[in-house]
Amino acid sequence: MALLFSKMWRTGLVTEDLPSGGDEGLHLARVVEERTRRLLGRSLAIREVDAGSCNGCELEISGLNGPVYDCERFGVRFVASPRHADMLLVTGPVTRNMELPLRKTWEATPDPKLVVAVGECARTCGVFAGSYAVVGGVDRVIPVDLFVPGCPPEPLDILRGILKALDRLPRR
Amino acid sequence: MPPSFEVIGFLGIMAVSYIAAAAAALLFEDDRARRVTGLLSAAGALSGMGAAALGLAAGGSSVLELPSALPEAALEFSLDALSAAYLLLIGLVGVPAAIYSLGYGPERAVGAVDGALGRHSTGWRPARAIVPLFLLAMSLVVLANSVFTFLLFWEVMSLASYFLVIGRGDSPENLSAGRWYAGMAHAGFAAIAAALWLAAAGTEAGRFEEIRQAAGMLAPAARHAVFLLALLGFGSKAGVLPLHAWLPRAHPAAPSHVSALMSGVMLKIGMYGLLRVGLDLLGGGPPWWGGLVLALGVVSALGGILSALVENDLKRLLAYSSVENIGIIFIAVGIGLVFQSYGMAGLASMALAAALYHAINHAAFKGLLFLGSGAVLQATGTRNMEEMGGLIKRMPQTALCFLVGSTAIAALPPLNGFASEWMIFQSLLAGAAIPYPLMAAMMAIAAGTLALTGGLAAVCFVKAFGIPFLAMPRTAAAEEAREVPRTMRLGMGLLASACVLLGVLPFAAAPILSRAFFGMPGLSDTPAAFRLGLVMEAGAGASAISPTALALCLLAAGGAIPLAFRLAGSSRALRRAETWGCGRAVQSPRMEYTSTAFAEPLRRVFADLYRPAKTLDIEFHPESKYFVRSIQYQSRIRAWFEDAVYRPLFGLARPLAGTGRLIQSGSLHLYIAYIVAALLALLLLARWM
Ligand code: SF4
Repeated sequence: MALLFSKMWRTGLVTEDLPSGGDEGLHLARVVEERTRRLLGRSLAIREVDAGSCNGCELEISGLNGPVYDCERFGVRFVASPRHADMLLVTGPVTRNMELPLRKTWEATPDPKLVVAVGECARTCGVFAGSYAVVGGVDRVIPVDLFVPGCPPEPLDILRGILKALDRLPRR
Repeated sequence: MPPSFEVIGFLGIMAVSYIAAAAAALLFEDDRARRVTGLLSAAGALSGMGAAALGLAAGGSSVLELPSALPEAALEFSLDALSAAYLLLIGLVGVPAAIYSLGYGPERAVGAVDGALGRHSTGWRPARAIVPLFLLAMSLVVLANSVFTFLLFWEVMSLASYFLVIGRGDSPENLSAGRWYAGMAHAGFAAIAAALWLAAAGTEAGRFEEIRQAAGMLAPAARHAVFLLALLGFGSKAGVLPLHAWLPRAHPAAPSHVSALMSGVMLKIGMYGLLRVGLDLLGGGPPWWGGLVLALGVVSALGGILSALVENDLKRLLAYSSVENIGIIFIAVGIGLVFQSYGMAGLASMALAAALYHAINHAAFKGLLFLGSGAVLQATGTRNMEEMGGLIKRMPQTALCFLVGSTAIAALPPLNGFASEWMIFQSLLAGAAIPYPLMAAMMAIAAGTLALTGGLAAVCFVKAFGIPFLAMPRTAAAEEAREVPRTMRLGMGLLASACVLLGVLPFAAAPILSRAFFGMPGLSDTPAAFRLGLVMEAGAGASAISPTALALCLLAAGGAIPLAFRLAGSSRALRRAETWGCGRAVQSPRMEYTSTAFAEPLRRVFADLYRPAKTLDIEFHPESKYFVRSIQYQSRIRAWFEDAVYRPLFGLARPLAGTGRLIQSGSLHLYIAYIVAALLALLLLARWM
């Protein structure tokens, strides 16, 4: 315990300022927050599914949760179970092993739900296209509301995608 | 005053039914014996309740003396309100347990089920005859009105339960449980006998009235000694913390309806003894008496529930939870004694009524839970929760009863556990009014601990209900479980409805129970009232909300919430989907929350108390450490506390026992020689005097 506190003390604050264009990130996140409040009456819960990605996309997604963007303060939360989720964030080409789990995850998510497929692979299988191990893009397995292009897409792109997908939610 | 005709009638029917029940068990054949014995025992318990109702209504005490040659050995009984309350408690569990026993264990030899591997059997005839005798002995203990009568039936009660614990005596587990129990029961008996004889030293025949009158003349040191000895003896029967070691051993070993009686009723007889001696005969004492009882209660409540949390054996878990509840009862008794010694009569009566109320409530829900565990045991053949699961689909009615019991014991409104614990909290909070800061602070600490205990109890019973009854069956035995016979369900149903009734009608129950303490020194004669306010002031009734109203509100809310959603226009579409299992292709019971895993977070939080021992053996592939051949994980919690307390005692007792054996050699000739020698010595003594 003492060790923990002394380390916290010595390290101090490490949060950097937003890089250039950071204002847009803030702005976007605020709009997302405002819109989820209006549409869902609460914050947005996201379940991330790695359907076979190279983890490049995951790196960028975790950027959303990192100290720079820190999206949770705007009510964009990543949750541990699809039962709690409003939105599935799926990455990577769907491998054979992940086909069933992905479908089960989708089934386990309560309606109304959104699916955002992140990264080039999620749409076209990218560099993995044609491999014996992949089934295809995410939309081969579950209905997708929106694709976020890029290999990998930046956190800001992902945020924009989330915002756009929100428009597809039925009005309350 | 002599007892009324009705009281004698009821008590007579009670005694005759019990004795007839015992005789029937020995005389008739298997199936017939079970039926006749069960019904006669139920009749006996019921007429005991009848006498109790009369006694509570009448107040005062009626005394009945049976003729005897020796005045010291006369059997003398009396029925006053306190005895009546306990007679009621005996009947409350006795009737359902007797009905339950009608269906318990006929298909399989219960032997194969009860007691770990043991062939413990209610089918064994003498065992079946002992149950009604056990009930009779307990009833006569609370009716006893002289030292001799009390001690005699106390011992009969202990011996009867001892034989029920060891059963046929061919399972090592039961035998060891029996040894623990016999040892502690007899040590306790010695302490009680010493206390009572010390108190009765100056009296002629050791009648309770005589002791009551003489108690004022007793030297302070003697009074303290009597109280401490009584606390030791009755505490060991009640199972307060350092003296609880027999409880988690004996309860699981006995057949389940006997466990229900032992845990639900017999522990309370220990509490009865403490009230009778400390409060009635001695008339209360200095504040530290109450403080000591309170401290014991706090330690037992917390220690009991912490031990229950990490237990995987359903019946052991229930036994530990009994230690917790006895702790709660002792807390209330302690507060009552403290208030009484400071002359706060109204609050003292309130606290003691709460203690009695919780005792009765505990009898109801713990009796119910033990009967429920017996049903599970009969259906699955195991007591280990890790081997159950999914029973709610297979035995829905048992599950419902068990759920009612679990909710009640977790002190959730509107069931009975809530009502009495609420009264105890009120008494504790009223303790702030005590003018001595140290004692007031102790009350606050006790209130905090009681709150923690309540929370832990809720966790514990989520586990005790969830692991056996929910999810998928973990073994074939659980898979094949079937609902138990109707008589067993009836027994459980009776207790479940008692839990609900006692829970929604506390304002009726509390004043009746407080009558048990009318006329005792330093207590008020106005009936205690149940209120929902946080702080009680005498006579404040304005803010009273009844739990009945609370129950109705809960029911109404249960209907109102879906209605509100419907009105708000939410969609009614219902989609059924598989239980979320992390997207795995097949779901197997191996993915379920186990009982050990459920308790693991708390086990870590309280690691300093549990001191768990772990061993982890991993066998790697010789080629590479990345391939594992087998993993063996073992985790054990040793009752280090018991070791610390009892080891030295055993060390001390063993050489003494060795010496004692010299006298008790087992040779009949030697014993006859002793008798002759004693007779000669007495004759010489008489001559010489
Ligand atoms: S899109 Fe690019 S970064 Fe994302 S999973 Fe595919 S290869 Fe990796």
